[in-house]
Amino acid sequence: MSNASLSAPGRGNALYWAIQAKRNIGVRSLFLVVLAFMVAYGFLFHGLFTGTGFAKFTQSWFPLALVAMAQAILMLTGGISLAIGALVSLGAVIAATTMTGPLGVAGGAAVVGIVGLGIGAATGLIVVKLRLPAIVVTLAGSFIIAGAALLVLPRPGGAMPDWLSNLLAGNTPAAFAVLVVIVLLWKLYLATPLGLSLYAAGENPVGAYRSGVPVDAARIAAYAISGLLCTGAGLFVAAQTGSGDPIIGTSFTLNSIAAAVLGGIGFLGGQGTMRGALAGSLLLSLMISVMFFLGFTPVAQYVAQGLIIIGAVAIPQFRMRAR
Amino acid sequence: MSISDAGILSRSRIRAIVTSRPFLTFAIVALVWIVASFVSRGFGSYGHLRYLVELAAVIGLVAAGQTFVVIAGGIDLSVAAIVTVAAVGLPLFAIDADPTGLTPILAVLAMTTAIGLVNGLGVALLRVHPMIMTLAMATFLQGLLIIIAGGSAVTAANPLVSWVGNARPFGVPAGILVWVVVSVVVLVVMHATPFGARLFAMGAGPLAAKLSGVPIATTTMAVYGISGFMAGLAGILVLGMNGQGYVGIGDPYLLASIAAVVLGGTSILGGLGTYAGSIPGAILLVTITALITVVNASPGWRSILFGTLILALLLLSGREAARR
Repeated sequence: MSNASLSAPGRGNALYWAIQAKRNIGVRSLFLVVLAFMVAYGFLFHGLFTGTGFAKFTQSWFPLALVAMAQAILMLTGGISLAIGALVSLGAVIAATTMTGPLGVAGGAAVVGIVGLGIGAATGLIVVKLRLPAIVVTLAGSFIIAGAALLVLPRPGGAMPDWLSNLLAGNTPAAFAVLVVIVLLWKLYLATPLGLSLYAAGENPVGAYRSGVPVDAARIAAYAISGLLCTGAGLFVAAQTGSGDPIIGTSFTLNSIAAAVLGGIGFLGGQGTMRGALAGSLLLSLMISVMFFLGFTPVAQYVAQGLIIIGAVAIPQFRMRAR
Repeated sequence: MSISDAGILSRSRIRAIVTSRPFLTFAIVALVWIVASFVSRGFGSYGHLRYLVELAAVIGLVAAGQTFVVIAGGIDLSVAAIVTVAAVGLPLFAIDADPTGLTPILAVLAMTTAIGLVNGLGVALLRVHPMIMTLAMATFLQGLLIIIAGGSAVTAANPLVSWVGNARPFGVPAGILVWVVVSVVVLVVMHATPFGARLFAMGAGPLAAKLSGVPIATTTMAVYGISGFMAGLAGILVLGMNGQGYVGIGDPYLLASIAAVVLGGTSILGGLGTYAGSIPGAILLVTITALITVVNASPGWRSILFGTLILALLLLSGREAARR
């Protein structure tokens, strides 16, 4: 990994790997489960290992991976967002109304990014500076954001440039490449002062504050990044469907929490890793695909999904108590 | 006790009541009603206000269960699904031999209470986080609903249910009467029983409560059971008021119940609060919705107004007290 260059040589390096190893303990069994599902899916769907099949699968996973990251960043700082789905919808309708207009693709993407960062930062400011509970602020915020999405596009419509749809949601694994870039950027962010403060601010805000960690800034930045990831996921969903829909993101709120928690992110802040959250979102995505291929009825899918989520969360608890 | 002592006592008592969160929320409701009735003709009429409280009764019932869960340190995200299950499932239990329609109601309430108990089981024994447990339960129930309803609306031919939804004994809608009875029982259980005391202890500090001998597992299960029961009751009421049950009928009540609890001054972190605040919280939510309807804006603006008003009210009443 390239991180060796980021931390100080010698003792700092040893500390880095020790922490990484400790953080990996929780997700090791998760990686095994994901691998098992991946093998099962490979048996069911032989096309998975062709270029097109891989591209299609990663495309179905991509938006969920993004919102899982968005939720995980917040949960690491001890926050949470119930406005994820609304932000995805807003990103989708903004992309679908601007990108074929005079602003063009670059301008549209910039608007989507600025809106995501801005709304995220505003949410963070309200939560952190006014000391309101995050769960309630984002609940109220979800109404405001959903309303804004309805103002931009009252009913499904708009359009995306064909070449963009073909690039992101066509037969090339471009979505996967984008995801790799995002993960690398996340690694870089963790090496910046704000990124380093993230875990400290979540695990022990008072202690971190007294040690000179910019707790408030770290948390507000986390909300801003989370907003950016959500509207980015919206842009991708718009490219996937070729149009905008003001309520398309609704299911992402709950799925983002499920993915993050499956990935071992704790609700209290400071516990868990981003690779865990990504694995959690991959597991959720694989689960849906496998059940689809096995011909599960929607009913059985809901039931199985509920049971697997509870099982995945409960079993580590039992093992911890048995130890 | 001398007269002056009693005077001082009652004065400090009055100040405590006036500055309490439930009273403040009631005051906000009263203020909004008075201002709105001046601005909009007909808003302040007895019939309209009665209608508002009747609508608030459904939110109030769901919020009753939610208040229990939140004070105990949890959260119930499955209430919307349970309301829908109750409203859609009731006709399934119809029995011809029972002309009063009481049996299906009892059966539905037993079912929703059982659903709540399963939530409690997962939270208390499997140690699944409440948010995940109730979320998974909501997903599970969504599947169940597709089996029982199949997407079509169901009509309730149950005399008792339509009585609860439409009758007005002494000019007061039966739904409001149900809400009043439930409120009294809930307040007594919450503030004047050992169970209520355990609830607050558990929410404030689970470990300290456990070491002090609070039966965590049974209390947790009871709390989620109550929430399931209340959501079931709300589902029956909403079915009676609508005349029809359909998938999605309960959806508005998840966010509404949480908002009512928080607007009423109950801490979302647990251990602090009262149902006396959730009651005006529920009425306030319905009033806001009614006001926004009066404004006659597009759905987008309506949603924005609703969110902004809740956020503004939170600034007035929902701030977390500093705990450190």
